[in-house]
Amino acid sequence: MKSAKEKRPAGQKQYYRRKKVCKFCVERIDTINYKDVKLLSQFVPERAKIMPRRISGVCSHHQRLLNDAIKKARNIALLPFSTE
Amino acid sequence: MRNYEIMFIVNPNAPEEDIDKINGQIENIITSGGGKVEKIEKMGKRRLAYEVDGQREGYYVLFVTGANGDIIKECERRLRVMDAVIKYITVRTDEEVRRMEKIKSYRQKRAARRGSHTSTASGGQFTEEATQ
Repeated sequence: MKSAKEKRPAGQKQYYRRKKVCKFCVERIDTINYKDVKLLSQFVPERAKIMPRRISGVCSHHQRLLNDAIKKARNIALLPFSTE
Repeated sequence: MRNYEIMFIVNPNAPEEDIDKINGQIENIITSGGGKVEKIEKMGKRRLAYEVDGQREGYYVLFVTGANGDIIKECERRLRVMDAVIKYITVRTDEEVRRMEKIKSYRQKRAARRGSHTSTASGGQFTEEATQ
């Protein structure tokens, strides 16, 4: 296994990336409530931007729900629009 | 009749009676207009994510109501006028609730079907064993 890896020419590194799964699908969360700050803040990194799907691994359906929820939460000052 | 959630933030320096007074007024608007108030939740003081009207803190209040558009319009107008209320939001929830129920019923149906399948399968196994 290790020798096979070493034989590989430079520049063709192989990554063993874990397959990302949608947190909401796994945990069977159907609705994303805008009041659930604890949940939403997991998808809002430091800069207060909404985390893209390619990083969080959330499926498109849940990303859409998440988007709506985060935007509602921002409106009522539960989440920041940006950090100062 | 539709279901709405009205959430608003009251100035944290306002006395407790003022908050109760505001709640009473909003409740009055809803009930007198033919709507119903399902829940009034005082979520208490918490830090705001950003500054609103020079405030870093706010007292959150949540109304869960069943009402129609006119009542909500009136509520929003009143909230806008009140000095102690620094922010409000109204969210319609009935569509969400309906969708949730649909998913739930679908899941139950599936679980029931799967349950009956397994029971028959196991039953079949038992008979097989018996014949052996």
